[in-house]
Amino acid sequence: MKINWYLLLAIFIGGAIGTMIRYGINMQTMFTLYPLGTLIENILGSFLLGVLTRYIFHMKLHEAWKAGLGVGFCGSLTTMSTLAADAFMLAGENSMLGASLYVLLSLFGGLLVAFLGFVMTDALTKRKGAKSRG
Amino acid sequence: MVNLLLVSVGGGLGAVSRFLVGAKIQERYPSPPIPIAMLIVNLLGSFGLGVFFGALFKGIPIFEYENPWFLLIGIGYFGAFTTFSTFSVEAVTLLHDGKYRKALIYISLSIVGSILAFIFGIYWFI
Repeated sequence: MKINWYLLLAIFIGGAIGTMIRYGINMQTMFTLYPLGTLIENILGSFLLGVLTRYIFHMKLHEAWKAGLGVGFCGSLTTMSTLAADAFMLAGENSMLGASLYVLLSLFGGLLVAFLGFVMTDALTKRKGAKSRG
Repeated sequence: MVNLLLVSVGGGLGAVSRFLVGAKIQERYPSPPIPIAMLIVNLLGSFGLGVFFGALFKGIPIFEYENPWFLLIGIGYFGAFTTFSTFSVEAVTLLHDGKYRKALIYISLSIVGSILAFIFGIYWFI
């Protein structure tokens, strides 16, 4: 990917929107006193990036959209640093078990939905391709 | 409204930094055995968040959702500089390609490494 100002602007805008949504979900889930927000954001973002990754593989999309949606939006909706902080906090507050569960849920949830995103998008774009050929 | 502005500016800058640092790493190491660009970014960002929390809050901030620095740098910048979605997609791609050993190494280094990097960062100041 070539670096240019147009691409950086797309990433900035996508990143700003992704972060605002992450902040919004955090605010809405704060009452749980559990890092539920980060868990939701990481799983949702992993699914969306899984879909986008396979969509780009099959269909054309402008570089700025790819960067804005993928690097910017999905990249910023999800976060690893807050996950690390959450795990550290849970380990200190509750138990190692709580922290391990949180990390494992994030990990397996994220991988599973990213894979689902791959498979679903492959199936849908193939069907669309078959239709247009027929 | 000010809070939204703070998180969005921090997040936008974090995302652009992630892209630039990632591109720099990829330029230097064009074909690494595991996807190291986002691994290094996540380690750096988790360490950075630890240092930030340790230096400013002497621990994990819990009810700081009105603190402008927490919003701009904690939620915004470091939150967006690091990423989980790219990690998931890269890990699934390795697994999908049958590269199980590489996937396991990448996943372990990313998750355990980020948590350790954060702990190193925060204990620097508390």
